[in-house]
Amino acid sequence: MSNAHSRHYLIIWLWLLALVIVSVAAASILPKFQALVLIFAVAIVKALLVARNYMHLKNERAIIYAMVLIPLMFVIILLFGLFPDFVYRG
Amino acid sequence: MNANAATINDAGIPPGKTGTWWFLASEIPVFGGLIAAYIVVRLGSSGWSAASSHLNFTLALINTFLLLTSSMTVVMAHAAAQENDFRRVANFLGLTVLLGLGFLGVKAVEYTMEITHGFTPAAGIFWSFYYGMTGLHALHVLAGIIANTVLWIGALRGTLARQGHRVELAGLYWHLVDIIWIFIFPLLYLA
Repeated sequence: MSNAHSRHYLIIWLWLLALVIVSVAAASILPKFQALVLIFAVAIVKALLVARNYMHLKNERAIIYAMVLIPLMFVIILLFGLFPDFVYRG
Repeated sequence: MNANAATINDAGIPPGKTGTWWFLASEIPVFGGLIAAYIVVRLGSSGWSAASSHLNFTLALINTFLLLTSSMTVVMAHAAAQENDFRRVANFLGLTVLLGLGFLGVKAVEYTMEITHGFTPAAGIFWSFYYGMTGLHALHVLAGIIANTVLWIGALRGTLARQGHRVELAGLYWHLVDIIWIFIFPLLYLA
C-alpha cells in the first residue's frame, strides 16, 4: 500500500474527527438556530469527505453520480413537498 | 481480479461496482424517507428536545468515533487489496469488523439503559423514530460486519486474492452505513 494513499486516508479521518468536535462544540456554545445550521452544514461536509475520498466518488464517472443524485433529489422533493403540511396546518 | 470481475460494461465500469452503486442508490430513499419524515414530524410538534435529552450522548459520541474510524480502516483494506497485500487486507478487515462489533455492543448497552428507564419504542413518537432509525441502521451495520467477516476469512485463507475487488464493494456499502450515521447522530443527539 502506498504511503501517499495511507497518509491521505489518515488526514481525511482526522478531518472527520475534527468536524465531530466542531458539531459538539456548536451544540453547546451557539444559540439553537445558528447551532443547527452549523451542525447540519458540518454533517454535509463530513458526508462529502467520506463519499469523495473513501468511496472515491471524485474519480467516478457521471453515471455513478447520476445513480446517487437522482434518488437524493427525490428525497429532497419529498422533504420540501411535506413542509407546507406543517407550515400551514401546524 | 478474476475474469468476470474484470469485465467492463458499456459505461466503462465493472458490473459488480455498478450493481453495488445501484444497491446503495436504493438505500437513499429508504433512509432519506425516514429522515425526511423525522424532520417534518419534529418541526410540526413540540417536546422532542426534552425526549432527546434522555439519550446517552457520550455513548453516541463513542459510536461516532468507532464508525468513522472503521471507514478509514476499510478504505485502507481496499488500498492494500489494490497492492495485492492480503496480509494487510486481513488486518484492516479484522479491525473493521471489531470496530463494527464495538458499535453494536455500545448500541446494545445504550438500548438496555433506555429500555430499563422506560423509554421503549412505545414511549412516544420521538422514541418510535429513535428506535426505527437506529435499529434499521444497526441492522445495516450487522450486514456489513457479516460481509466484511466473510472477506476477512477469505483474506486469511488466501482465497480473496482471486476476488480482491470485493473488498472495494463491501467498503462502498460500509461507507454508506457511515454516512447514514453522520446524519442520524446530529438529528437525534445534537438537534
